[in-house]
Formats: sequence, structure tokens, C-alpha cells
Amino acid sequence: MTSEAQQMIDHIVQLIRKPGVTIDENTPLVSSGLIDSMALVDLLLKLEDLTHRRIPAGKVQPKDMDTVLKMFATAERVGKPRK
Amino acid sequence: MIRAANLIDALNRAPAGQPFITFWIDEDERQALTFGEFRRRAREQARVFRDHGLQAGDRVVVIMPQGIPAMTTFVAAMMLGAAPAFLAYPNFKVEPSKYRSGLLGVTANLSAKAVVIDDEFPEEMLACVSVGDDTMLLRAGAKDFKAQRELQESHEHTSKEEIPKIRPDGLAFIQHSAGTTGLQKGVALTHAAVLRQIEHLARALKIDNEADRVYTWLPLYHDMGLIACFMLPMVCHLPVVMQSPLDWVMHPETLLQIISEHKCTLAWMPNFAFQFVPRRTPESRWRDYDLSSLRLLINCSEPVRASSMSEFQRAFAIKSAVLQSSYAMAENVFAVTQSDIDRPSGPLRIWVDGQQFRGAHRVKLVDEGTPGAVSFTSSGRLLPHQQVRVVSDSGVILQSDFVGEILVRGDCLFEGYYNRPDLTAQAIVDGWYHTGDLGFHLDGELYVVGRKKDLLIIGGENIYPQDIEEIVGGHPFVHDGRVIAMGVYNPDLGTEEIVVVAEVEHEELLAGAVELEQEIRSRVVAGLGVAVRTVFLKPPKWIVKSTAGKPARSATREKLLTEHPELNAQA
Repeated sequence: MTSEAQQMIDHIVQLIRKPGVTIDENTPLVSSGLIDSMALVDLLLKLEDLTHRRIPAGKVQPKDMDTVLKMFATAERVGKPRK
Repeated sequence: MIRAANLIDALNRAPAGQPFITFWIDEDERQALTFGEFRRRAREQARVFRDHGLQAGDRVVVIMPQGIPAMTTFVAAMMLGAAPAFLAYPNFKVEPSKYRSGLLGVTANLSAKAVVIDDEFPEEMLACVSVGDDTMLLRAGAKDFKAQRELQESHEHTSKEEIPKIRPDGLAFIQHSAGTTGLQKGVALTHAAVLRQIEHLARALKIDNEADRVYTWLPLYHDMGLIACFMLPMVCHLPVVMQSPLDWVMHPETLLQIISEHKCTLAWMPNFAFQFVPRRTPESRWRDYDLSSLRLLINCSEPVRASSMSEFQRAFAIKSAVLQSSYAMAENVFAVTQSDIDRPSGPLRIWVDGQQFRGAHRVKLVDEGTPGAVSFTSSGRLLPHQQVRVVSDSGVILQSDFVGEILVRGDCLFEGYYNRPDLTAQAIVDGWYHTGDLGFHLDGELYVVGRKKDLLIIGGENIYPQDIEEIVGGHPFVHDGRVIAMGVYNPDLGTEEIVVVAEVEHEELLAGAVELEQEIRSRVVAGLGVAVRTVFLKPPKWIVKSTAGKPARSATREKLLTEHPELNAQA
């Protein structure tokens, strides 16, 4: 796992504040109800920071953000490198 | 302004070379097109629609991301005399289950001939679009449209004859009233009503198509985005610089960037955006932007909050005369009132006696700074041919110094809710539309104070949740505008009690919840003289928002009552 993915996981753990829940790159987050879809704005901003990419939010659907692995794949697919 | 026979006629009169839409994607990418090119693309799509059997009178649902293709599709349907309706495109912030149930209800009610989606429409959402036996599902941009491209090389003049005659009293489009998606009602509007609204608005705002340029991030499925930022520019031949609402929410600072760069002169925003932009832009960059091109920035919310507008004004050094207000609703096409743009100090602000206001629903003017005074900002004066009445619960017409429900009548009023005669009959009585908003009409100025159904009655006093929300939202630890105050009935006391739910700015602040709760209570007591029974502090993003991005009162209430059944037990 990349250090960026680990940083994202740490960020999510802090966000959901559910003791005992462990998260890895493949843990479903949205579909399992672990995170509210409203929290995704925050995750998308974090993803932009971690990947140094600009992500057009209109091209992102909840399923694209369901796991940490998918988030980074989404950033790669629709994001543009930042100047 | 030239009087056009219908909206398409107005579009046809625009000079071909005049810039129309600039769609801002990011710092180094944007799409721009002229009125001539916009017409050409719309006609091309109209021809495809016609080839698919679409006719005058049909309904077309457009579910596409904000942008030029969505706009040309919408106009293409109108060109054939069909009535299009924009619906919200699924996005990452929308709870899929909620989106599904909402969309299904709305599309079924419209019994559309065609539903137009884009190539990237998520497959898993397709099942929630009601496509009956008589409904076609078309993908804009896909083969359905592209196959026709070679055919449409014909010049725009030659295709004019193909366009059917559109009757001014024919249905132009259906716009959906704001609200949580499932409860949205389709507001049916004629070409004539929309044109009259635009004429009144253009005159009140002194629109000049050689000098004005609109900036917008507002969604096209909402009246502010559709009427003020698409139909008005289309009819008055104004350039528009537009961005996606989602991109704006992610990076609110882009508003400043775009207005500076494109020298925009006109924009409309809901109240919360006046706080959201300065709070989400680092103070060190506030003065990097030049907003001096802005002629009018109109707060189009009910109620209008002077505190939010001053926050924006202070941050970006804007002249008072730029910040204006309006009272608008989909049912009246858009605006009912507009503040006088020639008043250098902006919308009128008054102070009234708080006790009289809450206890007797009465407006008694007092001086600014009087202890216990409540302040209101005017939404402006009536546009021509618009009338308002303020009535009591029993329907009695009230004098100008009393607060009651606002009724509206005029030449822009909607025909009814599409396919819902039951709802129409409830909303329009004897020609007057019952807005459900509470306010007063004093000395020609309309003041909107809140929603009738949200009013809290605490020990016989009328308390507006918006007043509590403004006080609580002013606390620096509370997330901008993410506060909901509600009344929960206490059977022991025989009255409602105030419950406040507020999001903290950062989750870490919840550690100091006890002190923060106490501060919030003290502020509410000091400001309104009423006690809050319980304050619930929640992490960011907890409060449910409507499709228009405002906190959704009833959905949030439901969520709170589910999470805190102890409240339910007494409700």
C-alpha cells in the first residue's frame, strides 16, 4: 500500500470515529454505510491533496469513492495533474 | 428589450457572433460558444428529437451534468414545442437510495416522451428513471445524436422553416420547486409567463446586453439557475460564465477567480453562499481578487440576512450598492420582488420591537440598537404587475404592520403543478398563490421572515427557527449555516420546546461540547429571550441538505429523532 493510501485510511478512521472498526484499501465505505455520502466532499478534497490532482467533482459518483483503492483509481482516471 | 413571441423567437433574434455560454472547467480549460453556435447545436438536436417522433406538447426529461450539452438539449425540446424539465444529475454527494426514490416519482409524474441522459450516466441509476412503454431513453452525445451530424451541415437560416410555430400560451418548460427530491413538484410555465418575468426583471435590473455578463454556479434544475442565469441571458442576449455547482462547492474560491478573470457584472446567490465563500477562502487571499466589475450580486433567499451579506462585503471590499436582494420562487417563474438597485446602501434594513413581533406578530419600528430589537432586511419592492397579500391563519387580510402568510398574484404565475390538480387546488385559491412563507409588506417593501410550517410556538410566543439559527450559526465553532432549530412538543409543559442541532467546524471541537453548548444557550437567551431545551452538536456533514444545498429541515428532524429516540418519546 502506498503512503498516500495509508494517509487516506488514517483520515477516514478519524472521520468516522467508530472504535473497533478497521479499514483497509478494500473496505466498502459508502455502500456499507460507514461514511455518510455528505462526508465525501471532505474525502474528495483530501484525495486532491494527496494525489496533487484536480478532480472534476461532476465526474465522480458514490461508487467511485466506495473504497480507498477505488478513490485513488478515480483520481487517476478523471483527475488532472495540478500545476 | 425587443418583445419576442416566445423564448425560441428571442433566442433567434440574438446576433450570431455574440458570446453566449462560457463553461469554466478549471484554471486552464473552458468551453465557449456564441449564440449562433448555440442555436446551430440546439437545432441539430431538435432534428434528432423530431426523427424520434417527438412532438409539440410532449415532455422531455433532461438528466445531464451541468454544461452546454444539457442547455442545448433543453432548448432543442422547446424548439419543437415540447416541454423540457431539468432534473438533478446523480452525483457523489447524493445518497443513492434517496436519489432513486425521488427520481422515480418525478419522472413517472411527468410521463415523458423522452428521457435524455449523457454517455456517462451511471448504469446503477438507470433503474430509477421511470421509462414507461411510451418513453424513449436517449443518450445525448452518443450515436442517437452523432449519426445525424453529417446531415446538419445545412446553414442555420435554411432550417428555420422546420421549426413549428410555438404558441405564446403553450407550455415552455417545467421547473421543479426546491425541496428534497421526492417532494419536488413540477411547476408548469408558459412562454408568455416566462417572457413577462424576464421583461420585468431586465427592466428592474437595467440589463444592458453590451455591458452585462452573468456569473453562475447555480444548478440548472433550480429556478435561480434556470431563469436568472440561463433564460434571462438567452432572451436578453447576455454572455454567461458558468461552472458546475459541484466544482464550486468543492472550491468556493473559484467564484472569486471567475468573476475577476471574466469581469462578470451580475450574479445571484442563496444566502449561505455569502458566508461560505469568505469562510472557505484563506484571508491572505481575499484581496487577490478584483470584484469591481460586479454591478449586482443578488441575495435570493428567504429570509435575506444582512449579517451574511456584510461578511461577504467586508471580505472582498464590495460597494453596498452591489449587494441586493430579491424574493423569488419557481411558481412565479422567478422573482416577485427586487430591491431598488439605485439605493446606494443596498436593501433597506429595519429594526422592530422583539416582544411585539414574537408575541403579537406585530411590526413596531424601533431605532437600531434598541434592546431586544429584531432586524429584518427587505427583499425589495414588487416587480410590475405583481401583487402580494399578507393573511392571517384564518385567511383575513392583514394590515401592513402585521406578519402573516404571503400570497402572490400576477402575470408570471404558474399554470399549476404538472399532472397534480390536487396540489394545484391547494396552492392557488381564487387566483392567489399561497407561498407558505411568512412576512410583512411595509411601505412598499416586502420582508420575508420564515416559513409558515417552520414557525415554533413556545409558550405563546412566535419564534422563527431562522432567528435562532442565525445566532447559533454566528458562533465561530459552528459550521457555516449548518444549524437547524426545531420545536419538539413537551407534554409535561404543554408547549413546544426548542431543540437545536448544529455542526461543529471541526470534529475535534466536539471534545469541548459541554462548554460550547452552554455558550450557544447563553447566546440564544441573550438574543431572543427564549431558552433552548437541548443542543445537539454534530460532526461536519451531519445535517441533511436539500437538492438546492440548503439544510433540509424535515429530513434533519427525522434523522435527529431517529438517532435520539428519547426526544421521540415526548414528541
